[in-house]
Amino acid sequence: MIQDYIVFVGVNIVLAWSVYVILLAGSLSFANGGFMAIGAYVSGVLTVKFGFPLVIAALISGIAAGLIGVLAGFPALRTRGIYLMLVTVGIAVSVKAVIESIDYVGGIQGFGGMVGTTPWHVVGLVVLVGSGLALLSRSPLQRILDAVREDELSAASLGINPIYVKLTCFGVGAFLAAVAGSFYAHYLIHVSPDQVLSVFIVLYAVLGGTNNMWGPPIGAAIMTLTPEFVRGLEAWRPTAFGVIILCLLLIRPDGLLAFRIATTRTKAVAGSKPKQST
Amino acid sequence: MLAEQIINGVVLGSMYALIAQGYTLVFGVLDKLNFAHGEVFMLGGFICVASIALGASLPIAILVTAIIAGLLGLVVEFIGFRKFQSPDAHLTAALSSFAIGLVIIDLSQKIWGAESVAVTLPGTLQTAAVSIGGLRIVMLRLAILVISLLLMLALYVVVTRSSLGRRIRAVAESPTKAALFGINVTRINQQVFFVASMMAGLAGLALALRTGYASSDVGFTFGLKALAIMAIGGMGDLRGALIGGLIIGVLEALAFHWGLGQLADVFVWLLMIVILLMRPSGLFGTLISKEVRA
Amino acid sequence: MDVYPQSILSVDGLSKSFRGLTALDQISLDVRRGEILGLMGPNGAGKSVFINVITGLYPADYGTVRFLGRDVTRLPSYALARLGIARTYQNIRLLRRMTVLENVLVAIKDHVNRPLRSLFIRNRSRFVRAATTLLEQFHLADKRDRLAGSLAYGEARRLEIARALAGKPSLLLLDEPAAGMNERETEELGDTIRASRKLLEAMVIVEHDVAMMRGLADRLVVMDAGHKIAEGKPGEVLAEPSVIEAYLGTDEADE
Repeated sequence: MIQDYIVFVGVNIVLAWSVYVILLAGSLSFANGGFMAIGAYVSGVLTVKFGFPLVIAALISGIAAGLIGVLAGFPALRTRGIYLMLVTVGIAVSVKAVIESIDYVGGIQGFGGMVGTTPWHVVGLVVLVGSGLALLSRSPLQRILDAVREDELSAASLGINPIYVKLTCFGVGAFLAAVAGSFYAHYLIHVSPDQVLSVFIVLYAVLGGTNNMWGPPIGAAIMTLTPEFVRGLEAWRPTAFGVIILCLLLIRPDGLLAFRIATTRTKAVAGSKPKQST
Repeated sequence: MLAEQIINGVVLGSMYALIAQGYTLVFGVLDKLNFAHGEVFMLGGFICVASIALGASLPIAILVTAIIAGLLGLVVEFIGFRKFQSPDAHLTAALSSFAIGLVIIDLSQKIWGAESVAVTLPGTLQTAAVSIGGLRIVMLRLAILVISLLLMLALYVVVTRSSLGRRIRAVAESPTKAALFGINVTRINQQVFFVASMMAGLAGLALALRTGYASSDVGFTFGLKALAIMAIGGMGDLRGALIGGLIIGVLEALAFHWGLGQLADVFVWLLMIVILLMRPSGLFGTLISKEVRA
Repeated sequence: MDVYPQSILSVDGLSKSFRGLTALDQISLDVRRGEILGLMGPNGAGKSVFINVITGLYPADYGTVRFLGRDVTRLPSYALARLGIARTYQNIRLLRRMTVLENVLVAIKDHVNRPLRSLFIRNRSRFVRAATTLLEQFHLADKRDRLAGSLAYGEARRLEIARALAGKPSLLLLDEPAAGMNERETEELGDTIRASRKLLEAMVIVEHDVAMMRGLADRLVVMDAGHKIAEGKPGEVLAEPSVIEAYLGTDEADE
């Protein structure tokens, strides 16, 4: 049982981070559920039908997803706000529809047989990604991301290529989502579009607060574990989800809009309260 | 028969249009996406089933569905949108309406189970058909088409020619300016939600009658597609939603006719993506919405 | 169009329309090495559009722009910045939620050029030192850890200029830097600009403030309704009847 918790929480943490990475560059993508599914399916096919070892398969599926992500991201990132929301939702839904129409991977039913994920895999992934993000937050690259997120135009005037930055983040986010999806699938031992396409990923990322890299994992952990801990509500999980989300949104809307605020500066002398802007 | 398929497509399209216009109304006036809309549509089917099971006649069931759906829309507005009125909050509003949608799905599954529930209609209502010019048209479908079109026509007339419509358009253009003119923006929002949700509920009822059962996943499949249709036809444009819905409906019917049904979904979403990229204001003009800010 | 060998920037026949409205109509001019070129004209003359086209925000409809001999007409903003064209904006665009130091750091040449590698280097003291030196030159060093959004207007403008210079550009374009400033701030701005001169090859300043331009610019170009209507030394240009009329024709007599 504890194994389940570790795997599910870990996978969701990485998924939340995959959205966070894209948020760092200023875009909110609803497409990562689709990339998660791509990861699950590609790695599943590689291990089940071609005998690849899990980690290799996961990496390959991650790279595949990353490439698709960059391709899809190129047009998508020219849109903003609601339109970006819609386009990325469209990507996720298209992925689902495409998978469902491919008989080789079982269409709507999906297929099974992929094994191999141990909690160690997931823990290792979490540690790896977490370290990478921590390293990032202390590096000059973080500043570049902040600049692009806050004001693309002036970032460009400084010589930063915002499209390159955003696309890279998009690709990395897709990669992470895919790898997480691979591990998830190989724990469930079965994939189907409904199982491996999570529509909640953005919620995980956003609910814990997107001020810094620790918010998304907190959101993911809370959303994953809370329904488990409240006995008798197992069956009411989606409603519990919905209600929790609503409460958090109503009580702490800052926690969400905070994704526009740069990472917290402990040394900064704040002359004014940080303002929200879109 | 090709012509019959086209008519089927038009009927299907009118349902899409009803839902899409609901999305459009909310987007045009509040500038937000209402992700609970699809689930209100879904619920419409179940309300219809329940009413009929409780002995109501069809007209009563229609009335009941419309009213309950409208009221549900008021609830959605209150919980999901009242607190998030600033222009920055469209993500928050989207997420909260999404959460409400989740709750709706779950509750309906608790009440009616996760499987589809059959609609039992009196007599031959389902299959009574009529022949027009050599084509066999199911009366029910014809009725659905006619009523849908009438509803949308009524909406159009209200929005363009009534004083309520003027106030709605004023709020759509700028809530702050409208408030300065003494318009009760909250009241308008409520009315918009009521109408939009009512239309969605009726569309759900129509779908249930047409297919013969209500199921809890149509909000995600059908309803979300209507969102894409709204984007294709023009975000915030009622006519665009109508035309877009009809075109997509016909295209889908044809696709099924030619055995390409699987790809219909993908096509619609890809089309939406393409349109959003090239012409964010959609294929048609703008009635209701303000300047598209891309 | 004769091209002076000392030209940093050479614009030839630049034209731009928006939905049928001509904003720039065959503008040609040169920016010479070592000079401060003033770009003036009434509201709507197209000065800001000109800057925006030069810096890659809008694509030109016709015409060419040559920078240091190279055709840069179709390049995007970031590429132009990397080649050495820097700019400031009319409404100051700083990264308000980052500190003063970070605003400059992000712009330091070499800091941005290799983003992937920069993932693995920390606050290279080299960059910090360069940024601090620049801040000192602009009298902002004592505010280095303040959030940029908390600066006073004049200081913010100084920071924006400092940041623009962090990339070691050859050409700096200032879009109405004195907008919204009082007399004292304008004077300080003039000092800042004069001090920055030696760090650059040339500057172009778009401004309304005639007095300021008279004292600061080596040459003036005056625009009106998308055309260039005068060019030459400030004293001469400002005395030309067409120029006076262009200004008096609107609400603008700053004299």
